Amino acid sequence: MTLDPRDAVATGGVGELVPAATEQAGAPMRQANLWRDAWRRYLQNKGAVVAGAAFLAFAAFCLLWPIMSPYDIKEDPVNFSEAYEGPSLQHPLGTDQLGKDLLTKLALGGRISIAIGIGATLAILLIGVVYGSIAGFVGGRLDNIQMRLLDALYGLPYLPFAIIVLAIIGTNNLWTMVIALSIASWFTAARIVRGQVITLKENDYVRAAKAVGARWYRILSRHLLPNTLGILIIAIFLELPGVILGEAFLSFIGLGISPPDASLGSMAQEGRAVYRVHPNMIVIPSVAVALLVLCANFIADGMRDALDPRTRETKEH
Amino acid sequence: MLSRNPRLSALLLAIVTGLLVVGCGGGDEGSDTGGGAAAADQTLKWGLGSEVVLDPGLATDTTSAKIVLNIYDPLVKLDDKLNAAPAMAESWDVNGKNVTYHLRTGSKWSNGDPVTAKDYEYAWKRAASPELASDYAYQLFGIQGATEYNSCESNCNALRDKVAVKATDDQTLEVTLTSPQPWFIQQSAHSVFLPVHQATVEAAPERWTRPENIVTNGPFKVEAAEPSASITLVKNQDWRDADSVKLERVEGRIIVDGTTAVQSFEAGEVDVLDEQLPAAETPRLKETPEYELYPGLGTSYYGFNVKDNITDINQRRAMSLAVDRQSIIDNITQANEKPANAFTPDGMPGKDSIVPDPSPWTPASGDIDQAKEYMAKAKNPKTNITIYSNESSPNKEVAEALQSMWKQIGINSTIKILEWQQYLEFLGPPPPKAVDIFRLGWVGDFVDDINFLELWTCDSGNNNTGYCDKDFDALVAKARNTPDNAARYEIYKQLEQKLTGQDGALPIIPLWYTTYPNLERETVKDTFSINLLDQVDLTKVEIKE
Amino acid sequence: MTAFIIRRLLWTIPVLLLVIFLTFILMRQIEGNPFRQTSRAVPPAIQRNLERKFNLDEPWYVQYALYVKGVFTFDLGPSLVNRDRTVNDIIKEHFPKSLELGLLAFIWAILIGIPMGVIAALRQNSAYDYTLMFLSNVGYAIPSFLIATLLIYYVSLKAGLLPTNGWENWKYKILPSFALGLAPMAYFARLVRGSMLETLQQDYVRTAKAKGLRYRRIVVVHVLRNSLIPAITAMAPLLGFIITGTFVIEIIFSIPGIGRYFVQSVSSRDYSVVMGITVLTSVVIVLANLVVDIMYGILDPRTRDARS
Repeated sequence: MTLDPRDAVATGGVGELVPAATEQAGAPMRQANLWRDAWRRYLQNKGAVVAGAAFLAFAAFCLLWPIMSPYDIKEDPVNFSEAYEGPSLQHPLGTDQLGKDLLTKLALGGRISIAIGIGATLAILLIGVVYGSIAGFVGGRLDNIQMRLLDALYGLPYLPFAIIVLAIIGTNNLWTMVIALSIASWFTAARIVRGQVITLKENDYVRAAKAVGARWYRILSRHLLPNTLGILIIAIFLELPGVILGEAFLSFIGLGISPPDASLGSMAQEGRAVYRVHPNMIVIPSVAVALLVLCANFIADGMRDALDPRTRETKEH
Repeated sequence: MLSRNPRLSALLLAIVTGLLVVGCGGGDEGSDTGGGAAAADQTLKWGLGSEVVLDPGLATDTTSAKIVLNIYDPLVKLDDKLNAAPAMAESWDVNGKNVTYHLRTGSKWSNGDPVTAKDYEYAWKRAASPELASDYAYQLFGIQGATEYNSCESNCNALRDKVAVKATDDQTLEVTLTSPQPWFIQQSAHSVFLPVHQATVEAAPERWTRPENIVTNGPFKVEAAEPSASITLVKNQDWRDADSVKLERVEGRIIVDGTTAVQSFEAGEVDVLDEQLPAAETPRLKETPEYELYPGLGTSYYGFNVKDNITDINQRRAMSLAVDRQSIIDNITQANEKPANAFTPDGMPGKDSIVPDPSPWTPASGDIDQAKEYMAKAKNPKTNITIYSNESSPNKEVAEALQSMWKQIGINSTIKILEWQQYLEFLGPPPPKAVDIFRLGWVGDFVDDINFLELWTCDSGNNNTGYCDKDFDALVAKARNTPDNAARYEIYKQLEQKLTGQDGALPIIPLWYTTYPNLERETVKDTFSINLLDQVDLTKVEIKE
Repeated sequence: MTAFIIRRLLWTIPVLLLVIFLTFILMRQIEGNPFRQTSRAVPPAIQRNLERKFNLDEPWYVQYALYVKGVFTFDLGPSLVNRDRTVNDIIKEHFPKSLELGLLAFIWAILIGIPMGVIAALRQNSAYDYTLMFLSNVGYAIPSFLIATLLIYYVSLKAGLLPTNGWENWKYKILPSFALGLAPMAYFARLVRGSMLETLQQDYVRTAKAKGLRYRRIVVVHVLRNSLIPAITAMAPLLGFIITGTFVIEIIFSIPGIGRYFVQSVSSRDYSVVMGITVLTSVVIVLANLVVDIMYGILDPRTRDARS
């Protein structure tokens, strides 16, 4: 096979690539090479790399900064004389209306928003995977019923249902937000998984496994799901922006995390009341949300391009 | 180009000159005298804070109350000193439990029907009816038979006739109260006592308040109303005192969000805003000439769960002493409220006799040292408590500030914020065991302290503290039967002492008294005002130049 | 074709029933009292009277049956909180405004988003491409409440060009629909760009170019039409999103729409209004999906039978 010259380019310490078509030609393709290939292609996408780095950096900041920070938002006393200060050496982003450090508050808010985002996304995937793989794998009448049900569920308006679910649960903490945001948005994931499972089911190696008598869970776990994994990872980063924005919107109308915890959305809502005099109070959390969303989008694009060569952009016009 | 076409340039010159003349000479109507002259366009653009309900029986929120009080004609109004002034009733007699209103003649509804005492009888009974289930029905419970009628579950017509409100003739309304209540006349200035046109209501019970159906008898009429969006009122030229009304038109725009409302004001789209100033914007707005602050008749407080949780009086005293009210007012609520010195608010008639000395437990800036002393005296203090509040700003921040202040006296508190409905469900009464301290407020319905003090009787539906003192209840009952103001204020003094006095049980920590910050454009600022009960009299408003 | 349409139409009925059922069950779970809006307690007798008046004291299956009957006779009951209005009236007065807001946002998205995507695809990897994609991404990522606030501040307050809030004439409608349309705009731009890039790679395009047909004609006649099909299919969920996502914009711009009303009704526990609006939105979504399915069926006959 002719080697595409692009594949021979190494980018920054990836390790061995697909080796030159010499000793290894003809050997069975292992999945590991698929991932390394994808990784390499991902790294070629400058936007995706920058986005990935930014996302990781922000997540690390949110995770670590509150631990390292000299301020403790929950324990420190309310200090009105230091309220609404601008950026300074002690407070790089300034302070809020109770005199608490904004940088630390941003990190804590980011923690919550990211946690809700990832939590809801994982929940969506979990439900979607379970539902979709059952439907796709079993097929027949069960599949039919499940798909009809899904059609019906599609009719549920997403945000109103999230609001109702939140009202039912009562308290608004991390877990309830995760539940509310995932409950009405797992349908597409289920469809994708089902579609994938159906396509892959007909593959030769699955048929072979069945012919040999492999149990269904073995087929599912060994063959079908790992191949779907790529799609699922992309799906994570595609769902993430929607969930983060959804959480921001819910917080904005007051249905978000209850104080004293704050998410980026609730910080933005509080900030809006004073935007005339202290615009940073709304701009900073909104920019943080935008950052997360943008990065997730670029990462998703990058991964999609990396894992599915067909959608790679043509170099000519 | 101009020089080439002399006719065109002449035309242009004429136009320009004409515009200049009109522009400079316009506003000729009395503008030479400067500020103080009436504008030609007497239209008030009013930013309203919530949906407007035009049925006096169902108008619960203050926005609706303000509107209905100007489209219907009450029997009495409140004057500047909050005394009852004649409105539709030109005089009244009070004889112990019997009150008689004497109505004017010649007043008409907007469809031409004469206004009679029967309209008021019908409206009052309707407001007390179990079918309407009005939130303000309790305002009528001072009338004999009203309470029973309101709680009737079957066979209600018989009870309806027993409600002691009767129109003995077209101009006379006789009312029999359950006890002599000197405040009743003033109380009847409330919006729930407004009349309605019986035939209109019965013809279309669910639609009678629409602009095409509604029939009113007040100084203003409803010209148009778009639900949740706007309402337009025009002067009722046939009103009994129409000559004294300067305002011709009111354009109300409903803007629910506070920040948007302020933006709208600053863009010149509305001339008066009330009810929606966000606390966070107040420091900036205070500096503007359009800012206007009105005192209200209300007290904001934090209530203890005294039955099971914060049982030690010394702990309650300590917690009250630790609160730096002034600091919270200056930095969080920022509406120049007055720090509370008792439960009875400032402005309540008789306050000076009821509260001759401020409560020792409510120093305006707090007293941490004393607080620590009392905390030390507490035998079984509960040092890990949960603060409950609802989520609207600035309640969150106030809770956080209190958390911080109580930490100084060794109390660790967790804040639980609930959404409003959950919060109400949660508080009961009786409050659940989980609640240690919670945030509430009370705004007066009428201008007598009984309205505030009777909250703390054992079976009051608004007593969420679990405080129950038989002597307190006995005193309240006695006050209800004491028509003489001075003697009654003496009883109120004792009741206040029981609550916030030196040996008081302190079931609540009064924080501050309500204020209503407004934005009013200079053209309207002098004449637009809100009284202590948050009512507006549009007949007094005039737009200046 | 008609069989297809009829089948899909009939399918909406069980869907609706399911939605009503789910909403009904969920609403019953929310604690709260629609008859108590202030801290003043409701006397027990009044509470009982009101519950009786609104059938809230019946067992749940009776209430459900009554409600279903109401839906199919188009009588959604009275509002529990604003007792001088019925849910039908509320919907009649507020829903058209949200619909208009949503459609206008949609139009912005199409008018700006599709050309953005086309230009970006045609000038792939150029400065145009990067700028347009960046702008559209930013429009999607920055939460609309910030954008709305900034728009009001700069365009209305500072420049005085447009009113700050309300929904009276065309001037009022520009800013809110634009703010709402930014996210779909970005979505369309990316979608159209991706779809066009794929189409541009197709053999028939290369063939046409090789044959020497004019470039522009190729693009307009073939590429656009074929790229827009996936864009159209994306519209249905988007329409649903727009209609249900209007509430933030409605609150900020003081638009008397159904989204804002919905949020308030959940807060005040106005069960009948919440259910009415949810059922209504579901109907809209289902119908929108149906329309798209039909359009897709017309445009691409392969999908008609293959849709499982």
